[in-house]
Amino acid sequence: MIKESYKSFDEYELIKSSLEGDKNAFGEIVTRYQGMVARTVKGMLGDSVFSEDIGQEVFIKLYYSLSEFRGEAKLSTYIQRIAVNLSLNEIKRKKRFFSIFSQKGNADMHEFEVADQDYEERKDAREIVDKALLKMEPKFRVILTMRMLQGYSTKETAEILDLPLGTVLSRLSRAQEQLREILDKLS
Amino acid sequence: MKLVDVKKLMISSLSTDANSEDIMKKLEEAGVKYSFDEDFRDKVLLRIYSAAASVNQEVEFVKSMNSIFYRIALTGVAAIVLLLISIFLTQGSLSFNSVLGLSNSYDESIVCLLTGN
Repeated sequence: MIKESYKSFDEYELIKSSLEGDKNAFGEIVTRYQGMVARTVKGMLGDSVFSEDIGQEVFIKLYYSLSEFRGEAKLSTYIQRIAVNLSLNEIKRKKRFFSIFSQKGNADMHEFEVADQDYEERKDAREIVDKALLKMEPKFRVILTMRMLQGYSTKETAEILDLPLGTVLSRLSRAQEQLREILDKLS
Repeated sequence: MKLVDVKKLMISSLSTDANSEDIMKKLEEAGVKYSFDEDFRDKVLLRIYSAAASVNQEVEFVKSMNSIFYRIALTGVAAIVLLLISIFLTQGSLSFNSVLGLSNSYDESIVCLLTGN
């Protein structure tokens, strides 16, 4: 009964209720946007336990910054920015970790990420997408995630990543080149 | 969907004129889906509200300490006022000596006591 009533709430009503301490209202926000966050975080970091933790961090950060949300952008854009930033931070953290413990650094990080997925030789769509994503540079990976997994337009991608449209267009083209090379090697 | 088609879709998603929403749907149909565990929502709420509860407990403790401090301070002030009134009523003044309970001849008595004269 309670859950049904929250489903009819728009995002501003949910935010207001959450700020008033309504746990179920924030729960509805999590329910609505967890799929979107999963696509971003798992696209960026791979399908692992770390991604689940980062996904939780996204909503925890959202909860504590809800009072700062001015409604200038859509809530989904706001959440998407948090998800992208936390994922990029996690990639940097992993990179630092591997640069300390390995001379090969970046190369080992990719090996770790791929091994972490428990990949087998099954060549299905999901496998090829995951492998390709993890082999891309983070700045291109995020573009591919926004376009391919979230279905955002170039303009929306620029807005979420807080980048000029020209930068996104140039990264699209360079990301496409890199993806072609990676997919050629994967086959 | 064949693997070649998946690759084509991936590459075309990065074209500027691509219908990325359409590509996303096609890839989802091909099995490229991402989700968290079923209890993801509960885990998030547990982490948020258990942390909030412990913060609330600390805040409540500080509040109760503050209220205890005010009660003690007010009681102390009331006791001092009552004491001063009682001194004034018994001694007839609020001089330093009367507050300390000393008579005016106290200094001389001490000297006499110490010297034996």
